[in-house]
Amino acid sequence: MPDYRDFPAQGERLLLWVTSERGRAEPELQAAQQLAERGIAVWSLDPVSAYFLPQLPSSLDAVPAQDLADWLRAAQAGGKRVVVYAVSRAAVPVLRAVALLQPVERQQLCVLLMYPNLYTVAEPLAEPDYLDVGSLSGLRVRVLQPRRSAATPWLPGLLDHLTQRDATVSQVILENLREGYWMRETPTEFEIAESRRMGDMLLRELDTWKCK
Amino acid sequence: MQMKRLLSVCVMGLVFAAGAQAAGFEPRAATPAPELKANDMNGSAKSLADYRGKVVLLNFWASWCPPCLREMPSMERLRLKMVGRPLAIVALDSAETADEVKAFLSRMKLGFPVLLDPEGSNTKRWKVFALPTSFLLDAEGRVRYVLTGPTEWDEGEALEVIESLLAETQLPAKRVEPRRLTPQ
Repeated sequence: MPDYRDFPAQGERLLLWVTSERGRAEPELQAAQQLAERGIAVWSLDPVSAYFLPQLPSSLDAVPAQDLADWLRAAQAGGKRVVVYAVSRAAVPVLRAVALLQPVERQQLCVLLMYPNLYTVAEPLAEPDYLDVGSLSGLRVRVLQPRRSAATPWLPGLLDHLTQRDATVSQVILENLREGYWMRETPTEFEIAESRRMGDMLLRELDTWKCK
Repeated sequence: MQMKRLLSVCVMGLVFAAGAQAAGFEPRAATPAPELKANDMNGSAKSLADYRGKVVLLNFWASWCPPCLREMPSMERLRLKMVGRPLAIVALDSAETADEVKAFLSRMKLGFPVLLDPEGSNTKRWKVFALPTSFLLDAEGRVRYVLTGPTEWDEGEALEVIESLLAETQLPAKRVEPRRLTPQ
């Protein structure tokens, strides 16, 4: 699959990093490099660029799930423990791809979702509606949700939706941060600092989650 | 590859341009408003009943949201423009602590009430998924227009819509049809 960057490492873990529609930002590349230096290999995929799609959230709905499923299988075939990390709407093709895997393949995966956007409808005064991504039985999902987001009050509903698809779900609130804090036009000092520490944050989540 | 990059930049430009201005006021068929139950900065309980008989601009915002802060000065100018007329401007902070809101208000002086929604319960009751989101209610407390995104409240379409709702307060009660603001 084109448009990916490979950050090799000798450790036993492999992180598949799927960017949002905005593509890769420099802090994300630095974080991937930091993880590799700590022994976690990273394959960074920019799906919107790979499929020559407009840089819009809805473009990620058009990414072929079967292609991503093949990519996940290829990653698992390498023998490392595989964790997928998807940002924003990239959660849609990732979860659809995971749903295409065999249950035994799915059970060996963990998925980290950074402020996932799974809405089909989110209009004022109307109940939210979420995409049906298929069965996620046996999958472990952890949602990373920046506190400073309009989506934070709606997080319980999103977690319920994933649970109803038989995923085992947990959440972490990232305090004092906004969605996409590493690529904001006017970041706070804390956001700048946290952007530099993104690799550490992801490593901490991988270690404390104990998704092995 | 160069063409690909060029197209990407153009699309990004369109996205940012769209994000800079709200898509427009969406008319609603005079639906009853959800319950509003929040405290103001002094701890006093407020509900929509406190504003009955007035047109209400209810604005959901947060201090971390740049477009929200960008439109606030125009809300204050609107308040000054509408002194003596039956318009209530209410800004409901979504899911932040009182301290966070106080810190912001120490930097921007606002003459309209700011209500707190620390648990996000009003945000969820009104089904607000993006900030800012604003609701215009008529004097009967019915939702007449919804706007997702920022605007300049003291001019253009925003002022036109508000004036139309204010004009209704001077007319005998009648069945209300939503105004169409977009070409059919």
